Amino acid sequence: MSDVSHPSRVVVAGIGNEYRQDDGAGLAVARLVSSSSPEIGDVGPLGEPLDLLGRWDDADLAIVIDTVRSGAQSGTIRLIELRESDDPTEEAVSGATSTHGIGLIGVLRIARAINRAPHRVVVVAIEGSEFGLGVGLTPEVKRAVTDAAQQIIELLEEAA
Amino acid sequence: MTHGTKGADRVFSVEGLARVEGEGSLHVHVSDGIVTDVALTIFEPPRFFEAMLVGRSYLEAPDITSRICGICPVAYQLSACGAIEDACGIAPDERIEALRRLLYCGEWIQSHALHIYLLHAPDFFGCTDAVELAERDRVAVARGLSLKKVGNHIMEVIGGRAIHPVNVKVGGFYRAPTRAELRALIDPLEQARDDALTTVKWVSSFDFPDVTGDYNFVALLGGDRYPIERGRVGSSGGFDVTLGEYDALVVEDHVARSTALQARINGKPYLTGPLARYALNAGRLPEIARDAARTAGLGSPCANPFKSIVVRAVELVFACDEALRLIAEYEPPEPPAMKLTPRESVGYGATEAPRGLLLHRYALDANGTIVSARIVPPTSQNQLTIEEDLRRVVEEGLQLSDADLTHRCEQAVRNHDPCISCAAHFLDLSVERM
Repeated sequence: MSDVSHPSRVVVAGIGNEYRQDDGAGLAVARLVSSSSPEIGDVGPLGEPLDLLGRWDDADLAIVIDTVRSGAQSGTIRLIELRESDDPTEEAVSGATSTHGIGLIGVLRIARAINRAPHRVVVVAIEGSEFGLGVGLTPEVKRAVTDAAQQIIELLEEAA
Repeated sequence: MTHGTKGADRVFSVEGLARVEGEGSLHVHVSDGIVTDVALTIFEPPRFFEAMLVGRSYLEAPDITSRICGICPVAYQLSACGAIEDACGIAPDERIEALRRLLYCGEWIQSHALHIYLLHAPDFFGCTDAVELAERDRVAVARGLSLKKVGNHIMEVIGGRAIHPVNVKVGGFYRAPTRAELRALIDPLEQARDDALTTVKWVSSFDFPDVTGDYNFVALLGGDRYPIERGRVGSSGGFDVTLGEYDALVVEDHVARSTALQARINGKPYLTGPLARYALNAGRLPEIARDAARTAGLGSPCANPFKSIVVRAVELVFACDEALRLIAEYEPPEPPAMKLTPRESVGYGATEAPRGLLLHRYALDANGTIVSARIVPPTSQNQLTIEEDLRRVVEEGLQLSDADLTHRCEQAVRNHDPCISCAAHFLDLSVERM
């Protein structure tokens, strides 16, 4: 991929486990995007959102990519910007009570409280279908990885 | 969380214990002012790691067992390495052992910082969680996260990555870091040591319930230094034994309500972890950590489980100071790993995981295939003592409202930083007042 113009400090973070099939999609997208420019820092792979603290501090733009299971068609890509004015759902916040479950919203609220949050946070969610043991993505998710990387690069160009 | 009254009985339940590692619940039944039942239930699915190891190569034990826990993978790796090397009749090279100890300091720093600041401290401020604490005391939580980051960084430099490090192998390391790579850790570690000293002052100012436990403390005994990666096992009850003898002393039972085994020594509960390490080894702490403990008013032993957060902070000072010492004295091991030849034998390895003593035992055949494995994690060993703490807390807190007493019970569990994922191989509170 060609080098792109982008905001001054961009970090991408893939969350997931590449040994659980489609759960590795976020990691694959982060690798593709960071390889498009040496100035994009890949701060993953991350096992859970808590690990973002200390890695995404003060970034102009942080892009967090994860596989989701929402019932949508496998391979569906969603880009969601997390704005401070957004009310996190109760479900998202309640996860903040266990180290196994500090959700992205909880982590972002901690980061904001200590003034270390990225200026912008965009979540890229890829719908997966297979999360059992094993390496490799399903064909729909594999195609979505390439598409998601391209959408992120276009987002970076718009933000530049 | 639920609680209620049935006649003169009170019932307290927490069906999903928060701010502990893994999944478990807590149930307390009080009848006519007497605690009749306390049950810490671990329902995280059992992981059958011990059975999974059978038939695998002796070289695979560190990597397989490191997957038991994302918070303390180094503990699993190094207890496994110790046991396999013991089975092969090899004692680790001093330089390899020093590098292992430095890696382990990284794990102590990140795990203790996580527990102190994000899991335990919110209890003392009446906060629901770390998010609420961060909104209330930004400086403190930022300090905790900086400490955690330094710990993670040590693990990344030496272990290749912070979670499930990939540079550890039976015999040593795949690659030894250069002196320059470790020297780059000095400035952050000096700042971390200062932050750890501030942490001791911060936590020692908390308001602690006046509770004294009657504990049989069990921990590794350090030689000249505070124990981390090796040692004999000692107890406040008076035993001082080899790892093999300790393995024979610990009897684990299964109870239907829990997927974790419950350990006893001589039929009685015991306690591992920071309180136990400190009770048996306080004199082995470096002067800077002993000073911090004295200034914090921490006696030795400390038998108030709620003050475990202070002991953890003192250990944080120790881990930062010890890491700096190890870096100053670092000699890259060459080669980075010892060669081992398997033999038909049994080996034992034990290290001090952040939350307590972790014992591994492996039996190998002549080809190095694992024929049996035993893993005794800290939370299995502490589970019965945590239940005893709960009984004491409820008995001494019956004047409290159900909601306050339920919260106090949850806090009593978090005092010991249980790692349910490791043990289930567990938490919710239910209190019944009948």
